[in-house]
Amino acid sequence: MTLAPTSTTAQNNGPGTGPAPGTGTDGQGGRLLRLLRRPLSMQGLLVGGAVVVVGYLAIVPLGYLIHDTFLSADGHGISFDAFSRAYGGNSQSGEMMLNSLWFALGSAALALILGTALAYVQVRTDTPFKGLFFAASLVPLIVPGILYATSWIFLGDPESGLINSLIFKPLFGSSPVNIYSVWGMIWVQGLHLAPVAFLLMVAAFRAMDPSLEESAAMSGASRLTVLRRVTIPLLRPAMISAALLMFVQSLESFEVPGLLGLQNGIYVFTSRIYFVLRAYPVDYGAAGAYAIGLLVIAVLGVLLSSWLQRSSRNFQTVTGKAFRPRPVELGRARPLVGAGVILYFLLTVVLPVAVLVYASLLKYYAAPTSKTLSQMTLSNYRAVFDMPLAFTALKNSLIVGVGAATAVMILTAIVAWVVLRTKAPGRRLLDLLAFTPIVIPGLVLGLALAFVYLRMSLPIYGTLLILLISYCTRYLPYGMRYSSAAMAQMSPELEESAAVSGASWFQTFRRVLLPLMSGGILAGWVYILVVSFRELSSTILLYSPGKEVLSVLIWEQFENGQFTTLAALGVCMVLLLVVLVSIAYRLGARFGLQSDSAN
Amino acid sequence: MRTRNTTLAVTGALVAAAATGCGGAVTTAAPAKADGAYTQIAALPKDQQVAKAQELAAKEGKTLSLYTSMTADIATPVAQAFEKKYGIHVSVFRGNSETVLQRAMQESQAGKAGADAVETNFLEMTALSGNGLLADFKGSALDKVESAGKFDHWTASRFNVFQPAWNTDLIKPGNEPQSWEDLAQPKYKGKLTLEVSDSDWFENVTKYWLGHGKSQAQVDTLWKAIAANAKVAKGHTTMMQFLSAGQQPIEAMNYTYITDRAAQKGAPVTHLPRSGVSKIPAFARPNGVGMLKNAKHPATAWLFYNWLLTDGQKELVKLGLTPSTKVPGDNSLRGLTLVPFDVKGLSKDDGSWDKKYDALLRGVASSGK
Repeated sequence: MTLAPTSTTAQNNGPGTGPAPGTGTDGQGGRLLRLLRRPLSMQGLLVGGAVVVVGYLAIVPLGYLIHDTFLSADGHGISFDAFSRAYGGNSQSGEMMLNSLWFALGSAALALILGTALAYVQVRTDTPFKGLFFAASLVPLIVPGILYATSWIFLGDPESGLINSLIFKPLFGSSPVNIYSVWGMIWVQGLHLAPVAFLLMVAAFRAMDPSLEESAAMSGASRLTVLRRVTIPLLRPAMISAALLMFVQSLESFEVPGLLGLQNGIYVFTSRIYFVLRAYPVDYGAAGAYAIGLLVIAVLGVLLSSWLQRSSRNFQTVTGKAFRPRPVELGRARPLVGAGVILYFLLTVVLPVAVLVYASLLKYYAAPTSKTLSQMTLSNYRAVFDMPLAFTALKNSLIVGVGAATAVMILTAIVAWVVLRTKAPGRRLLDLLAFTPIVIPGLVLGLALAFVYLRMSLPIYGTLLILLISYCTRYLPYGMRYSSAAMAQMSPELEESAAVSGASWFQTFRRVLLPLMSGGILAGWVYILVVSFRELSSTILLYSPGKEVLSVLIWEQFENGQFTTLAALGVCMVLLLVVLVSIAYRLGARFGLQSDSAN
Repeated sequence: MRTRNTTLAVTGALVAAAATGCGGAVTTAAPAKADGAYTQIAALPKDQQVAKAQELAAKEGKTLSLYTSMTADIATPVAQAFEKKYGIHVSVFRGNSETVLQRAMQESQAGKAGADAVETNFLEMTALSGNGLLADFKGSALDKVESAGKFDHWTASRFNVFQPAWNTDLIKPGNEPQSWEDLAQPKYKGKLTLEVSDSDWFENVTKYWLGHGKSQAQVDTLWKAIAANAKVAKGHTTMMQFLSAGQQPIEAMNYTYITDRAAQKGAPVTHLPRSGVSKIPAFARPNGVGMLKNAKHPATAWLFYNWLLTDGQKELVKLGLTPSTKVPGDNSLRGLTLVPFDVKGLSKDDGSWDKKYDALLRGVASSGK
C-alpha cells in the first residue's frame, strides 16, 4: 500500500524486459510484487519460498514460547502469572538485569573495537604478519566456550592463575589479575566474540570504496579525521549489525557467567533461565517470561539499528564505479602495529590454546612443575581417536554444519533483499521475526521442535534433519545480520543496470548481487559452520543414537570429568576447522571473492 | 488493492505454516502390544520369566532403545555387557537427567514410542513414574534389592553418595571436615565451593539436622555460615577439575565416585580422612531403572531391567559405582557412614527446595515457600 501507483500499474513485462525503475527502491518494490503475482515463475517461487521458510523457522519456536508463557495454569485463557513468578519475589531480577546489561554492553563494545580495529589493519594497511589474523579470527570461535573459559580460569585465577603466578608475582610481587570479576567476564566474552565483529567488518571494509577516504585526505583531513568522519560512518550498517548480534548473544550466554561470575556471586539474567529450566517441574512459563524479556531488549535493538540505518543511501559504497582498495602505508607505525598484532594473537590464540595443549598432555590438570612436565603423555589423543563415535560424529557435524550454513546464507541473502530493497509491507516484521530465534533459549527451541516434529508424519524427528532445522533456526539471526550488512553497502543502481540490460531478476540476483555480497556471505557461512560445531543446548535433546554430532561428544567428555581428553578433542577441532575454513576461503577466492594476499 | 492481496497471501502462508507446525493433530500409538508382552511375562512363574522374555525379545528384533544419564564411559561398557550376554543390540541415548526426562515425556505425550527402558536419577525417575509412563516389573531380580531400593514402578540400580571432597595438598590431615556442621567453621572461610544445583543435598542435610536435635534457627545459622564460607560453582565434574588443579581446597559436596575417579588418575583429592573412615553422614541417592508402558520392544526392556539388577550389578562394580544390591568385591562404600536418603521428602517436592537453596546461595531471604 506504500507503493507508488506507477509501479503497481506497470504493464506486465515479459521476462525479457526489465521494469522501468520508478524512484529507486519503489521500482524494486514493484518488482517484488510482480514476482509474487506470477507465483509460478522461478523468481516468485524463490522469493516467496524464502520468505515463507524464514517465517516458518522463526514462528515455530516463538509460537511455542508465547503459548507456554501466556497460557494460564488451568490451561484456559491468558495469564501474566509467569512474569510475576519470573521477575517478582526474591528473584533480584533488577540487579541481575543490570549485571547482564553491563556484561553484555562491555563485551560487545570490547569485541566491536577489537574486531573493527583488526579488520581495518588487516584489509586496509600494509601491516606485517597478516597471516596471523586468520587464526586470531577463528580460533576463539572454534574452541568450545566451556574450554575457552576454563583456559582463562587456569590463566587468570587470582591465586593460582598462570599469569599471576608466572608473570606478576615474580616481577611485581602482586597478583592483580582476577578473572572472577565483571571485568574478567567482559574480557573473556569480548575476546570470544571479537571474531564475530572481525568477520563482519572485514567483509565491510573489502566492499568499501576507499576513494572517499582518499578525497578527504587530499582535501587536507588528518588521518584521524578521515577515520572519524568518513570511514566509521560508512561502516555503520556492519558495525551496528555486529554490535547488536554480540550484545544479544552476550545477554543470552551462560558459559562465561556460569563459570566466572558465580564464583563471586555475580548473577546474570541467564542464571535465572538456567535455574528455572533445570528444576523439576520445569516452569516453562517463567523461562518464557525471561526469554520474552530478552526479546523486548532485542527488538528495541533491531528497531534502533534500523533507525540508525534509515538513510540507507549514505552507506552504499559499492556502486557502478570500479574501485581497487589501496593499502594504507603505515610507515613508521608499522613495527608498532605489528607488535600490536602479535600481542593480540598471543592473548586470544596462543595463551588459551597453549593451556589446552598443555592440559591435553596431562592426566589431570595441575600447574606446571617439573613433576607434571615429566609425566606428560599422548594418551588423551589416543583416547580421542579411540572414541567409537568420533568419526560418525565428525561426519554428522560436517553434514549438519555445512548444510545449515549454506541454507541459512541462501535464505537470508534473499530475505535481506526483500527487507532492504523492496517496499513490501511487513518487511520490517520479517526482519524482526528473523531475529527472534537469537533470544530463544536453546532448550526451549529443542522442545518446540520436538513438539512439532513428533506430531508430523514426515521422517524428521530422530534424523539429522531435525538438527539441521534446529541449527537453521538458531543461526538465522546471524545469517540475517551478515547478509543485510552486505546488502546495505550495495547501491541499487547495479541491479537497475542489470535489469535495464535485460537481465531477469534471478540473473541479476545470481550474477550481480551474490558475487558482490560474497564477502559478507562467506563470512556468515564460516561463522555458522564454526559455531554449529559446538551447539549443544538444543542438540542434546534432539539428537538420536547413531546420529551423534561432535558437540555431544564434547559434552560427554565434560560430563565424564575428562577435562584433559576434552582439551585434546578441542585441539583436534581447532586444527580441523582451521583447515576446513582455509579451504573455504581458497574456494571463495576462486569464485571471485576479493582476497588479500595473506589468506 | 492487489498489494494488500499479496500481503494477505504471504501472511496466510505464514500462518498456515505456523498452524501446521504448532497445532498439528496428535497421533496416538496403541500401547496394547507392550502391555501384552508385560502381562505375558508376569503371568508365568518367576523362574520361567527370563526364558519367556528372551523368546519374545527375539521376536521383537533383538534391539533395545535405552535412555540414560549414565556417562558414556559407563553406558558403553554396560550396553556392551548386555549385548554380549543376550546378543541384543542396545541403542543408547545419553543426556543429562533433565534431558532424559524431557525427551521421554515429550515422546510419550506425542504417542511416539522412543525409549524401551530408562536409567536415570532419583528425581527424574520419580517424575516419570508419577506421570504414569512406567510399567510394573515383578521379576525375581527384585528379591535381591533391599526395600529402600524399591519404588513405585521403578527400582534403584545404583547409588550416588554425597560427601565433601578436598585437595590433600591444601588441606592437611587433621584439618579436614569431620561433619557437615564443620563446613560452617570460620577456618574454611573462602575455601569452600558449593554446587549451584545441589538442592537435594541441601534438603537431606537440613532434614538430618532437624531430625537430630537441631532447631530450625540453628540449622538456618549453620547454612548461612556455610554459604558465607563458600564460592559457587556449576557442575560437579568441573568442580573436581578445579579441586584437582588446586584452585579450590574443599568442595562442600561431590559424588564419591567422581572424587574416587579423579584420585585414581593421581589427582591429590579424597573424601576420606587419613584413618580411612569418615563419620560424615553419607546420603546415598538412588538412581534407577524403569521400563516404558508404550515400549516398542517391551520384552527386551524387561530383560534389560532384570539383567541390570542381577549380572549388570557386577558390571557397575567393575566401573567403580555403588550397586543397589550386595555384590562381592564392591568397595565403593568402604569407610562411609551411610544414612537413609530422604526419599519421601524429595518425592513430594514441588521445587521448593530448589528455590530455598537458590535463595541461600544468592544471600536473599527465602520467599516463604
